[in-house]
Amino acid sequence: MSQPIISSSASGPRPGENTWIWLIKIVTGPLLVIVLILHFIVNHYLGSMSSGLMTYEDVVKYFQNPIIPAIEILFLITVVTHSLIGLRGILLDMNPSRTTLKIVTWLLALLGVSSVVYGIWLALTIASKGS
Amino acid sequence: MTEQWNITLRIYRQKENEAPHFDNFNMEVSPDEYVLDAVERAWAFHDRTLCFRHACHHSTCGACGMRVNGVEKLSCITLIRDIAHNGATLKVEPLRNFPVVSDLAVDMGFFYRKMESVGARAVLPVMEAEIGNPPAQWEAEASQYIRLSDCIECGLCISACPIMATTPEYLGPAPLAAAQDHGIQRKPELLSIVDGEDGVWRCHSAFECTAVCPSFVDPARRIMDLRKQVVGARLSKLFGKA
Amino acid sequence: MNTTRNQPSARKFWSWFIPLRRDIGSWAFALNRITALGLTLYLFLHLGVLGLLAQGPGAYDDFLVLTENPFIKLGEWAVVAAAILHGLNGIRIVLTSFGVGVTRQKQLFYGFMLIAVFVILIFTARMY
Repeated sequence: MSQPIISSSASGPRPGENTWIWLIKIVTGPLLVIVLILHFIVNHYLGSMSSGLMTYEDVVKYFQNPIIPAIEILFLITVVTHSLIGLRGILLDMNPSRTTLKIVTWLLALLGVSSVVYGIWLALTIASKGS
Repeated sequence: MTEQWNITLRIYRQKENEAPHFDNFNMEVSPDEYVLDAVERAWAFHDRTLCFRHACHHSTCGACGMRVNGVEKLSCITLIRDIAHNGATLKVEPLRNFPVVSDLAVDMGFFYRKMESVGARAVLPVMEAEIGNPPAQWEAEASQYIRLSDCIECGLCISACPIMATTPEYLGPAPLAAAQDHGIQRKPELLSIVDGEDGVWRCHSAFECTAVCPSFVDPARRIMDLRKQVVGARLSKLFGKA
Repeated sequence: MNTTRNQPSARKFWSWFIPLRRDIGSWAFALNRITALGLTLYLFLHLGVLGLLAQGPGAYDDFLVLTENPFIKLGEWAVVAAAILHGLNGIRIVLTSFGVGVTRQKQLFYGFMLIAVFVILIFTARMY
């Protein structure tokens, strides 16, 4: 007799991804498209372009306009959120145990928060270099 | 004089306590016969230990689902002419993601249990069914009419879905389509079943289920519609309109 | 009985990335997943590298010299191409998830990929 696949959905669905997390992922997506286009235009067309990539001085100069760090920070938060929720989704597709899922979720959250904190610090540091 | 082709049927064999392997059966077939006819011929005239499922032979029972040359098909309606040529080798394997009982016969139990968990209906009132070109206004007596559900529970979608390959917990296309068939409005208890990790949010829009469904269920479209219903229900609850 | 062979398993994740004999939607899914992983890797590398800016002009401008390396340039090209592909396919997913174009999802994919190729060609011309 074959071993039946015991599906735990018989006892109720597991928590892990729900409407809200998915909505955040699906909303940050198109938002990213917009912000990415902005980021690209600003980085490669408005900064001074001797070789296509801005030098240190170019970056500091254009960070003086407060709009720039604002956009970059918005970009960072959006992309980190979208990316890490997506990564977690890929893990969910592999049927992790509850413990594994919990650990990875916390690690990803930690990575996300620290990336954003680091990014905000970096943006402000660069902006301050111009004064 | 009917056309005759010479083909080799390469069938997946697996018995209890044996390693799986393929057996080749060389045979003459008419190209206007179906793959199932060829499999039956292999059983009748070559190897009586070959195990497979078949019943209605006209795509209403869903028993004969197999992978033909790697693609999920109902073998009773798959014309040999459409997927092979004279002298070709036809590879026949069991559906993916189901435990193999014997050769081409798989254990469909966990799938049927999922269908049960969402209360899948085999028969439903015509007025609740999504049919093409329904009348703008149903006549009063239409409420007495019922129809068979499109889904024949053949399992082809479960085999084809890339997410079913890695997690048996996912409800899967057919159960989600069956849930959509009820609708969250008509059956609110479905919300907690489908709004979760193993429900609608596990789908990644590969649309493979719709591509292989032999019965016009279009599970992918139904999953997308179910998502809309779930989001709508959650938003309503949030804003207290439930 | 060796029934685990044909059962769902996390180890089969490789099948996401090589959807043999599958329809175009599975290839779209594979493409989206591959570009997602590549872009995520790039994201954190990029954030790390940008930290050089805080160290002053020397460190960062030295690094810029590295980016002239043709392999690095190819990598950068790949990142932008991946972003374009992932972004357009993602829009297709947003649309179909809200019921728009579900019955035309294949055409939507082909159309978006055509746009993607077009945009990639333009940006390649500008880059090289």
